[in-house]
Amino acid sequence: MNGGIEYLFSFKDAFAQPATRVFLWIILGAFVAAPIVMLALQGRMSEATRRDAWVRYRTWLLIAPAFLAPVLFAPATAIAAVAVVSILCYREFARATGLFRERSLSAIVAAGIVLVACASLDHWYGLFAALTPLTVIVIAAAAVLPDSPKGYLQRVSLASVAFLLFGSGLGHLGYIANDPGYRAILLLILVSVQLNDIFAYVCGKSFGRRKLFPHTSPGKTLGGHLGALVLTTAFAAAMGHVVFEGTALDRWPALIALGLIISVGGQLGDLVLGSIKRDIGVKDMAATLPGHGGFLDRMNSSLLVAPAVFHFVGYALGYGLEREPRVFSSLVGF
Amino acid sequence: MDKWTYKPAADTQLQPLERLQSTRREAGLVSVGLHAVTTVGLRAYLGAYHRLRVIGRENLPRQTPFVLIANHESMLDSLVLISALPLRLRIETSPVAAGDVFFTNAVSSFLSAVFMNALPIRRKGVTTHALEDLRARLVEGRGGLVLFPEGMRSRDGKMLPFKSGLGNLVAGARIPVIPCFMDGPYRALPFGCVVPRPARITVRIGAPLSFEAQPNTREGWNEVVRACEGAVRGLAGDAARGG
Repeated sequence: MNGGIEYLFSFKDAFAQPATRVFLWIILGAFVAAPIVMLALQGRMSEATRRDAWVRYRTWLLIAPAFLAPVLFAPATAIAAVAVVSILCYREFARATGLFRERSLSAIVAAGIVLVACASLDHWYGLFAALTPLTVIVIAAAAVLPDSPKGYLQRVSLASVAFLLFGSGLGHLGYIANDPGYRAILLLILVSVQLNDIFAYVCGKSFGRRKLFPHTSPGKTLGGHLGALVLTTAFAAAMGHVVFEGTALDRWPALIALGLIISVGGQLGDLVLGSIKRDIGVKDMAATLPGHGGFLDRMNSSLLVAPAVFHFVGYALGYGLEREPRVFSSLVGF
Repeated sequence: MDKWTYKPAADTQLQPLERLQSTRREAGLVSVGLHAVTTVGLRAYLGAYHRLRVIGRENLPRQTPFVLIANHESMLDSLVLISALPLRLRIETSPVAAGDVFFTNAVSSFLSAVFMNALPIRRKGVTTHALEDLRARLVEGRGGLVLFPEGMRSRDGKMLPFKSGLGNLVAGARIPVIPCFMDGPYRALPFGCVVPRPARITVRIGAPLSFEAQPNTREGWNEVVRACEGAVRGLAGDAARGG
């Protein structure tokens, strides 16, 4: 019997890392500052913008604690929370594209997401990595069984892309929970990505003019992109210095590279969802989160960042390498 | 290369509660699983406690869309009819339920939508607009409906005259209407009672009716209703004769 199970439910040192506490103060500060800023700018905003901003803020007050509480509580709840978000994102994508009518493919993607979470809980990287190609081949194979090739490629492609982005991609956030220092790493990713969105919005409003992707996302401007790139990289590098203090990553070139990955990945993730929505012909993926749209409209920027940052940090440091792997599967002699 | 066509769920832009209470709702994987599990449980209950008998199973549709209609005398009625369907069709079928009873708040809406796949209809002032969503559902082949054209439960077990809304749903469209008659639900659970008695329930399923040739006008609707009411009363007569 190894200490793996106790680790998964270890909540006593949730706030032990200084970086975790710094992030929580930043989040708390943002929640306090946002209404003050909105009140200060009230005169300069149109009635519609103002109402939209308040609705967004109220939704933030609900979704931020709802996601952060399980992420910070213990590794097992963090992995479960990521899996739930993966499922919600898949559900939205499937309903928006019509893929949800292919029930067996939906069941396979959902099973793939659950297995990704199980591999993460098990601390079994081999299975975690293998699930990406395995789920895709199961999708491709299962889709031939009804013997109706019309639309085969579309069904298989939609299901595969959905699993790759929401199951495998986002699932990397869950696997990070195998590292005892996971809380600070996840907060670094989540907070930087959301700030990246805000920086892009604010910079775009302030000095953005030239549109870079008028067909994909007409609201985005060069000024917004560059402003977010500079500010997010600076923020992520500075906070990365706190998170990874004294490790191989604690060098400015590495930290700046990390910041660039987060900022570029976040903005591209935004454009990926923008392209998906334009292609389908919808404005928001759903109406689940008032002011935001659907869960995907909130998670879009994390889609590409999750696996990219996972491997960048993973190559340098690894995740939970000092811990025994395969917590559960070794118990059943598998 | 041909463009891919996407057919989003008809309810994607609705908020969660709105969606539960909408006739545009489309069930996903989890709901479908729950419908199936609920139906298996219901069949076991109806078979064991009410010795449910289904006569005329061969008249049941083999595919969607369709409308199953029957006399309405008990809360058990929709449970009996959906249990008579093969599971493959059951998961695509929605009982049309009174909005003022089954969709009054978030909890009842959730239970009705997720476990029964029920769709609400407001009984006070049913507009053609409300029926349009249901008709669109049928025409697009998005499932079958179970409904009770009397519009309310009979208070004494005697059938009431049919309402004309049924005509709006099917006149001029290729949607088979399957008439059914249930004998026993009134003895098992009459209006005003809460605990079912172990009375035997028998369902008779009649031959499908087609109203493709009827015009989608008031005359057409009246004709549909007359034919449907006649078919259900005919089955009731068979039941009375014990045939």
